[in-house]
Amino acid sequence: MIAFILRRLLLLPFVALGVSALIFSLLQFLSPAMRASLYVHDPKQLNAVPDIIRKYHLDQPAYVQYWDWLVQVVHGDLGWSETARETVADAIRGFFPATFELALYSFACILAIGIWLGTQAAVHKDRLLDHLSRFTSISGASLPTFVWGLLLLMVFYGHFGWFPPGRLSLEADLFVRSSRFHPYTGLMTVDALLNRQAWIFWDVFRHLVLPVATLTYFLTAVLVRITRSSMLETLRTDYVRTARAKGLAQRVVVDRHARRNALIPVITLASLLFVGLLSGVAITETIFNYPGIGRWGVNASEQLDIPAVTGFALIFSGLLVLANLCADTLYAFVDPRIRLR
Amino acid sequence: MMALVILSVGTGARGAGAPVKNPDTFVYITAGDVESLDPAYAYDTTSENIIWPTVYETLIMYAGSSTSSFVPMLATQVPSLANGLVSADGLTYTFPVRQGVHFHDGSVMTPEDVRYSVLRFMLQDRDGGPSWLLLTPLLGTDATRDSKDNIQVMPGQVAKAVTVSGNNVVFHLHHPYGAFLSIIAAWSFVMPRAWAVSNGDWDGSLGTWQKFNNPKVQDRFQFDHMNGTGPFKLESWDRQAKQIVLVRNDNYWRKPARLARVVVRTVEEFTTRRLALQQGDADIIDVTRPDQSKVMGMSDVTVRDGFPMLILQAIHLNEKIDTTGNPDVGSGKLDGNGIPADFFSDIHVRRAFAYAFDYAANIRDGYRSGGTQPNGPIIQGLLGYDPTAPKYTHDRDKAIAEFKEAWGGKVWDVGFKFTETYNTGNVARQIGAQIIKDQIESLNPKFKIDIRDVQWSTFLELTTRAHKGTMFVLGWAADYPDPDDFAQPFLGSNGDYGKAIGYNNPEVNKLITEGAETADPAKRASSYRQLTKIAYQDVPSIYTIQQTSFLVMRSWVHGWYFNPILPPPGQNPGKDYYTLYKE
Repeated sequence: MIAFILRRLLLLPFVALGVSALIFSLLQFLSPAMRASLYVHDPKQLNAVPDIIRKYHLDQPAYVQYWDWLVQVVHGDLGWSETARETVADAIRGFFPATFELALYSFACILAIGIWLGTQAAVHKDRLLDHLSRFTSISGASLPTFVWGLLLLMVFYGHFGWFPPGRLSLEADLFVRSSRFHPYTGLMTVDALLNRQAWIFWDVFRHLVLPVATLTYFLTAVLVRITRSSMLETLRTDYVRTARAKGLAQRVVVDRHARRNALIPVITLASLLFVGLLSGVAITETIFNYPGIGRWGVNASEQLDIPAVTGFALIFSGLLVLANLCADTLYAFVDPRIRLR
Repeated sequence: MMALVILSVGTGARGAGAPVKNPDTFVYITAGDVESLDPAYAYDTTSENIIWPTVYETLIMYAGSSTSSFVPMLATQVPSLANGLVSADGLTYTFPVRQGVHFHDGSVMTPEDVRYSVLRFMLQDRDGGPSWLLLTPLLGTDATRDSKDNIQVMPGQVAKAVTVSGNNVVFHLHHPYGAFLSIIAAWSFVMPRAWAVSNGDWDGSLGTWQKFNNPKVQDRFQFDHMNGTGPFKLESWDRQAKQIVLVRNDNYWRKPARLARVVVRTVEEFTTRRLALQQGDADIIDVTRPDQSKVMGMSDVTVRDGFPMLILQAIHLNEKIDTTGNPDVGSGKLDGNGIPADFFSDIHVRRAFAYAFDYAANIRDGYRSGGTQPNGPIIQGLLGYDPTAPKYTHDRDKAIAEFKEAWGGKVWDVGFKFTETYNTGNVARQIGAQIIKDQIESLNPKFKIDIRDVQWSTFLELTTRAHKGTMFVLGWAADYPDPDDFAQPFLGSNGDYGKAIGYNNPEVNKLITEGAETADPAKRASSYRQLTKIAYQDVPSIYTIQQTSFLVMRSWVHGWYFNPILPPPGQNPGKDYYTLYKE
């Protein structure tokens, strides 16, 4: 297994090279003036476009720009992000923990609810719980995130004032920035507990409720259907029939015998969901004004902030490789028949 | 069920007359993003809102709502001919510097700091930056570098442009410039030289400024650090949360501000901004005209409308279109399936479009009646504005008559087809484009106009570098409240728009120079009135609207006053945090 893991990790630099080369090759389709728009926001600056092109070497061939970028990266510099107003590395360091925190809580909820509901839907096929899960899945899949998110925001913040947007209230934000608070992990809920500031924990929690609820409702739908389908298939197998014939309780049959084997496709989906959460929740982050990496990534793409887009893509291609590795490794634990070679 | 939920939410959750939330803290939620906190670098309205007059101050300031009279600020007098602080030839302006003013780091402001700051502002001169505003009147050039990036400004020129004499800072202009005080009021920010130098910036010596010329945004310490004399100082800039926090300067040279803290936060989604206002978590928010109806009638929210802004929108008619590989010109010939490169160079074509445009519908539908039709680039509120000057009106018969004259009658007989562009997401411009399409096509079935939205990056390419734009809408907001700031970009052959559309009228160029370099307001006004007449005759652009703005704020906000030049000047007017308070 160690060899397997190492082999997979060795893929990382090649994936990074491939992704970055792809992005830079797409630069061929962008004229220097289009790329200069990143630095020009007002008609008053129109005359400066040729100078900006020269200053930032935007008219160099893509392979020259790529080589310059590679040399920079080798020296540990991912470049400057105009959209984040800081270095790409600092931006990732700043945005990633927020998105990771959101993704973690959302993922936990999605897994817990998705697997449970999917399992119950399969076990109680064509009965009320199954219909309820179907309704949840369809509504979650068909309602756009921004509609659901805005609805939740209007009701629970606009009307009740319970769960505000953002990551922290003003008061909590000022405290967190002060010398009285030490950021150990970048995950505000964890740091709040480590700093023994329960009120900060609750403040962060209040701000997480709505975006987590939005993502959970939206993404649980998919997991529920896959889990249900996989469970149904597993429940029809001979060994499950044998377990029932032996007189084992339904709960034991489902929890100890069926569910584990039904999890293989769920693990695959879950790993993709997690990476997707880490990289692609721009809409949710925008609606809730949550300072995450997805929103930054979308802004960077729209404004042709190439260093940011490349840095973003590098990180997430790496995460995808790691997520797949975790998934493959988990398969071996879940199903002993699978051997990693 | 969803509909019931929506209906039950309503537009207000907090009761009428709700207690003031965060009484010492003012929260402004904007849609824009801060580019830089360096006053010599920033040239966007969101950054300027933080910079001036909140953290950095200038030598003089506009008097309340006025754009033409000034009060002393970091200077103790406003120079004028009457008090002798402006020389008779209009080339020398003397500012006595106020004593006992402290910067935020505690150091005392000196005339040398003023000189340093002004020179730094000019000589930093980053691409697309604001340095030209002081370079032009003081050094007679709008750039420190030529087109090949070679420095073209001599140390000797710089040395004598701004000098210190006792407690005075003296500006020696390259040529008389009637708008000079306007520029100083908005752009002469002062920072401590010692602080700048100790943080790696230019030391003020004339032999070394070239190394600090044209930096990238992140190259300067002042990008994210501030040290001014203003009523507020920077506490933090969180780039992830897109939030800037300012705290009151208790050592301010005037009475300290009433607010203890100002928070400026960027929230791109309008609904989120609106809900924050509704909940009292924001005191003022940015609202666009199309969204204005969504804030009307909110409890404990005041909407004030009808503020005339120094912002002008126009449809620019490109007289020298690059037709090479340009899909927007169709066949590239006047054959009914396209337009040639010089299509708009015919005055009758331009006048026809000017008569065909429905100005009232544009203002009503695109801007929710938030504006008036201008009669030229010298708009209301500027010296030389002539309310009696003629303007084009929507007149189908005249439009047809002009088209029948255009290109010897060929336009009417053969027809044309081209594509008009606007930048994606700009609803007002989209409506304007649709109006012109509908009106033109209704005149003659052989006239075809397609409209296309493009990303800002593509829009830039089309309209500037490549000169491929056929007809496009772009506006202009005042850098300083003076007609020269509008005449040059719209009508000058080297102006931003004049150049983009290939408009070149030597008489116009001469009048622009005369207007700028004359100190006598009456003579200046005359030059600009003549320019307005020529703009009407030549129609290089169709001036569609001078926008008015509106302010949306919680009812507990007091102390706001209108001045069109306060940042950020846009659909929502600017604000001076010093005078604001909540109760």
